[in-house]
Amino acid sequence: MLKRLILDFAYYLQTSQSYQAKKKFFYNLLENDNCPYKKYVDMAMMTLIFVSVAVLIREVKFHVGDYMLFFSNYIISFVFFVEYMLRLWVNSSVSEIIVARAEHDTFLLRDVNLVKAFKIVLQLKLKYMFSLQALIDLFAILPFFHELRLLRIFILFRVFKLFRYAKSFQTLSSVLATKKFEFFTLAIFASIVIFVSSVLIYVMEGNNANSPIHTLFDAIYWSVVTISTVGYGDVTAVTQEGRFVAMLVIMAGIAVLAFTTSLFVSAFTEKLQEIKEMKIIEDVSKLKNFYLICGYERVAKEVSSKLAHRGKRIIVLDADEKRVEQAQKDGFIALHYNPGSVDSYKKLNIDINTQVKAILCLREDDVENVYAALTIRSLNKDVFILSLLMNDANRKKLTFAGINKTVYPQELVGLITKELVGKPVAFEVIHELRSENSPVMVDEIGITSRIVENFLTVKDLDNTDYKIVLLGVYKQKDDRFYFNPLDSTFIEAGDYLLVIGYKNFIKEFEQYLHTKVKHG
Amino acid sequence: MDNITALIFGYNKYASEIIANVEDKYDEVRLFSLELETTPSKNDERYTIEYFDLSDSWHNVQEHIDTKHSIAFCVLEDTAENIFLTISLRAHFKDLTIIAIASDKESANKLKMAGANKVIPLVETTSDIITNMLEKPISNKVLHSILYEESALKIAQIKISAESHFNNELLSSIDWSRYNGIIVLSVMHSNMKSDFIYSSSMKEHIIKPGDILVVVGYDHDIQEFEKKIGSKRYVNWSHWSW
Repeated sequence: MLKRLILDFAYYLQTSQSYQAKKKFFYNLLENDNCPYKKYVDMAMMTLIFVSVAVLIREVKFHVGDYMLFFSNYIISFVFFVEYMLRLWVNSSVSEIIVARAEHDTFLLRDVNLVKAFKIVLQLKLKYMFSLQALIDLFAILPFFHELRLLRIFILFRVFKLFRYAKSFQTLSSVLATKKFEFFTLAIFASIVIFVSSVLIYVMEGNNANSPIHTLFDAIYWSVVTISTVGYGDVTAVTQEGRFVAMLVIMAGIAVLAFTTSLFVSAFTEKLQEIKEMKIIEDVSKLKNFYLICGYERVAKEVSSKLAHRGKRIIVLDADEKRVEQAQKDGFIALHYNPGSVDSYKKLNIDINTQVKAILCLREDDVENVYAALTIRSLNKDVFILSLLMNDANRKKLTFAGINKTVYPQELVGLITKELVGKPVAFEVIHELRSENSPVMVDEIGITSRIVENFLTVKDLDNTDYKIVLLGVYKQKDDRFYFNPLDSTFIEAGDYLLVIGYKNFIKEFEQYLHTKVKHG
Repeated sequence: MDNITALIFGYNKYASEIIANVEDKYDEVRLFSLELETTPSKNDERYTIEYFDLSDSWHNVQEHIDTKHSIAFCVLEDTAENIFLTISLRAHFKDLTIIAIASDKESANKLKMAGANKVIPLVETTSDIITNMLEKPISNKVLHSILYEESALKIAQIKISAESHFNNELLSSIDWSRYNGIIVLSVMHSNMKSDFIYSSSMKEHIIKPGDILVVVGYDHDIQEFEKKIGSKRYVNWSHWSW
């Protein structure tokens, strides 16, 4: 009966959308760095930590008001307790484990073994509870029992909690963790030196009345101060034998210090690129509406610079380190990732649907572009992909790979020469209109419902007052372009006006369309 | 009488595209390659590929060609060779129209200095097209279809003749809306420079015979316009300036 109830409840939780949504919400708030609200939670927690440490420091020599003590001991502890419980909750899913076990046993026509399921749950929860971060969280709650004076020192554990909230601390520990073995060797070496030198100095100086070293603790203190090359001078060797030991310890100390410094430096040097990359990835995951450029060669370089000039965001991916370096030198966010690998996009942690405006496969190699396009299509069916086509024989392959638009430079040359030969002046006019450097340009003005309220027909636009040629109106709903429309043509929201004129006049005209006071 | 010829130097994919697009406009198309015994692809089988080197012997080319009305396309893949070829052609044929392709801006400038009338900078043109496709898809589509005649809309250049009733009229005084169906974009006047119809320099411009109007419209509307103003469509590379 109880088993049935537990199973029903687990299934209920597992299928309850509101429960899962709440759990996900708290998970994102506490653990997901990409959640926009997490940073506010982290900042609030850090403020609480600093408040409680400030109270602890103030309390040493001054009286702290009861309300402040209450806040520090109870309110902050309670907040940390709630946080601890929430982390314990979101860390693993009990209902999921029970349901998985039930499904497994039912499939094998066995009686559902809930004990096994609870065993796994217990293992997972205990594993979390005994993790360093969870232990720090737990100790940070202990000042709640502030009557036990010793436990007040646990307020300092709250400082350790900062490691959880400050990303740079996490980076530091991850960097140092890469040299675990080296640091361990160093610790063993330093311990042996300290142990041997402490015993030696104690033996040499312990019975000398003039020596400040009377106990083994004094000897260890002297050793540590000497080996660290700090040398306060409050405890010094006075016998010749003792001074000989001191010389040896000083030399060993230099070695330990040099070893430690080199370990830190090498750990950071090795990880520097990775740290930079992590930072870039973190920034990229927050970007919206950017162009992803796969491959950075001549055309890609030019396209990137033109898009950047128009204020568009660009992210470059390339498998070649030199090209990535070049893109970075050109001022773009560039990552040394293979655009043809699914892993690259997973590592990037971007949502192609919501963040990427279009993907441009601009390698001057059809094979590479097809490969990258297929990889992208395997991840996302809808994103717009544009690709360079270097050999017309491969056009079908590119289309088959899911590329929406191909640009074939050779074909462009053919078309351009045809126009150049037939209508050189007209060609140059159109070319000028398309060029970024020309003062006269062609532009698209989107019609909003606000504009429609003020301008009903083409006649109302008064574009000639702004020295603007209205080439036509594009009606999105019919996917049709109406060239040189009649004055009586109605303008609708969603339409686009294709206008030709001086950049500044087009800007003014656009402003006029948006700001005109409503008729009547 | 000498032939109006399209001379294409360098046989590659660019050359094939050029042949396909210009062969109906010239009396003959002649292909040249720096390599001996180059075989044309299946599409270009009707042509024989002549061998040429970068020395100064152009007698073979010069014969039976009206260099004033002929055109040369320099599409060698090696930039340095392409520049050398351009300079060599210009040195020998003062009136020949030379169109060259360049991979980047630097070589485009050099080709212009070498005497090319028009340089197609490949990378820049391709990237312009890509950027416009992404950022101005509608205007890009419309302009592309107008320019490359993929729709009924056409762009034409109309030369004002001596009989045209536009002669000696102030450009800004003409009500272009009277000419339904066409849009006048710009005017190329005697200084051989085209100006936007609403530019300040056009405000006081008095139309003279020889001015060229660049108009957009449907074919029959352009024809109507030609009839009304008493002028004809016009193509002449010698009017081209850079």
